[in-house]
Amino acid sequence: MAQWKPSGLGPEFTYDLSELKKVDPALIHYEQAASVPTGMMKPKAIAVGADRRLFVAGDGGVRVFDPAGKPVLQFETGGEPHCIALGKTGTVYVGMKDHVEVYDASGKRAAAWKGLGERAYVTSLAVGEADVFVADAGNRVLLRYDTSGKLLKRIGEEDAAKHAPGLVVPSPYFDVALGPEGMLWLVNPGRRRVECYTYDGAFRFAWGKFSMKVEGFCGCCNPTHLAIDADGNFITSEKGLPRVKVHDDEGNFKSVVAAPADFADGTVGLDLAVDAKGRILVLDPKRRAVRIFVKKRS
Amino acid sequence: MPTDNTTNNKTTRRNLFRKGGLAAGAAVVTGTAATLAAKGRSDGTVWQIDPEKCIQCGNCATYCVLDPSAVTCVHALKLCGYCDLCFAYFSPGFEPEAGIEAPAVESQLCPTEAIKRRWIEGPHYEYTIDEELCIGCGKCIKGCNNFGNGSLFLQVMHDRCVNCNECSIAEACPSDAFQRVPANHPYLLKGEDH
Ligand code: SF4
Ligand code: SF4
Ligand code: SF4
Repeated sequence: MAQWKPSGLGPEFTYDLSELKKVDPALIHYEQAASVPTGMMKPKAIAVGADRRLFVAGDGGVRVFDPAGKPVLQFETGGEPHCIALGKTGTVYVGMKDHVEVYDASGKRAAAWKGLGERAYVTSLAVGEADVFVADAGNRVLLRYDTSGKLLKRIGEEDAAKHAPGLVVPSPYFDVALGPEGMLWLVNPGRRRVECYTYDGAFRFAWGKFSMKVEGFCGCCNPTHLAIDADGNFITSEKGLPRVKVHDDEGNFKSVVAAPADFADGTVGLDLAVDAKGRILVLDPKRRAVRIFVKKRS
Repeated sequence: MPTDNTTNNKTTRRNLFRKGGLAAGAAVVTGTAATLAAKGRSDGTVWQIDPEKCIQCGNCATYCVLDPSAVTCVHALKLCGYCDLCFAYFSPGFEPEAGIEAPAVESQLCPTEAIKRRWIEGPHYEYTIDEELCIGCGKCIKGCNNFGNGSLFLQVMHDRCVNCNECSIAEACPSDAFQRVPANHPYLLKGEDH
C-alpha cells in the first residue's frame, strides 16, 4: 500500500464537519452509565421489555440480556433481522427485509407473516394492545396489522384526492413508535419531522424542522430513529451528525443525550429504546454495544 | 413550479455518460469495449477504482498524468434519495431559511460548481455531475456518505484515461483502491452487480 502523500488541494476542497459536531456541554444532560457488548458483528436493532430485559437483533438472530447485561437467551431468525419490538405478553416481533416473524418468549417461532414484495424494506416495528405497526421504507408506507398478521390499514401513502403528499423516505431509515395512550408517531425523514396519525391513517399533527443546529434535524433525512418515554418525551437519533436528543411531548428541544463526539466517524443506525427506569438505550453499531445513558446527577 | 437554470445542456462525449446515469454508463461500456481492449495492456485490463476502498483522499484530483484528471465523480442515480437538501450539493453548514431553489455559490459544496441540480417533483431533485467541471476531488462523496445514501463515487473515465502501465494515482493511493479490471468491464459501479 502506498505511503500517505498529500494531495496538494486547497482548503476549499476540505470536507470539515468539526464545527457542526460541537455541542455546548451545558446542553448535554445525560451521561453513559453502562455499556452492554452485543457479541454481534452487525447488531441492527434493540428493544427493551417491561422487565428491563434487553433484546438485540442482528447477525441472523436475537440475543436477550438480563438487566445486568448478562446473556440469557439466543435464537435464530429466518433471515437477517432489521428491527424488533416486544408485545405485552412477551411475544417478540422481528422485522426482516420483506416480512415479519413472530416468536414466543422462549424464542420459538410462532408465525411468519406474508411477504410484502420485492420493493419492501422493513425498518421498524411498534406493538400496541391489539395492533402491530410495520414501517416499510421501500414502499414508503406504514402498515397496521392485528396481532395475527391481518393487514388492517395502509398509512402515509400519497393520496391526491385527500391532498396527502405521501411520506418522503430517501434512505432506509423510517421509524415508528407508540407514545403514552397508544398515540401513533412516525418519522417522515425527508421532511425532517415526526408526525402523529390516527390508527385509521388520518394525519393529526407534526413537529420538527431542518437545522444543522442542535435543536433541529440535520441533513437530507433525519431523524433515523425514535423512541418515546412514559411521559411522552421524544428521543431521537440522527445520521450525518450522529447525535441523540430529547424533545418534550410537544416537540420542543430539551437536551442532548449523546453528542457527535461520543460516536466514531461514520456511525449510523443508532437504534433507541427507553426502559422502565427512564434510562435511554442506544445501539452503537460501530462499537457493537448497547450504551445506556442516564440523567446526570447535578 | 421551481425552475432550475443550472442544467447543463452541453452534449459532450463525457457528459453523455453522466446524464444517463448507470444505464448510459452500461451503453458506453458496450460501445467502447473494442477501443478499451485496444488501449488495455496485453493482458486486456485497464485501471479502475474500487468505490468500497476509496477514502476520498484527494489524490485522484492531483496525481493523474492528465490535467484535468481522468478520474471524475459518478452518480449512481438508482441509489440516490433525490433529496431536497442534499448535503453532497449544499455546504455542510447550509441553513435553508433563504430558500433552496437558487442557492448562492457559497452555499454549494463543490468548489468547481460541477454538481447540477434539477427539480423533479415535490421535494425531489435530481443531481448530476458536469464532468467537464469535476476534478475528482471527492469532497461531495464525503457529504453523500455522511448524510445520504453513498450514491456518489469516483471512477477512472476511460474515454480520457491513457492507461499508463504504472498509474501515478494508483502509486499515490493510500487505500489500495486502484485495481486492474477487464477492459470489457472497465467500471466498478455502485449498486450494480459486476
Ligand atoms: S466536489 Fe469534487 S468530486 Fe464532487 S463534483 Fe465537485 S469537483 Fe467533482
Ligand atoms: S492510468 Fe494514467 S491517465 Fe489513467 S488515471 Fe492513472 S495516471 Fe491518470
Ligand atoms: S487516491 Fe485512492 S483513496 Fe484517494 S481519492 Fe483516489 S481512489 Fe480514493
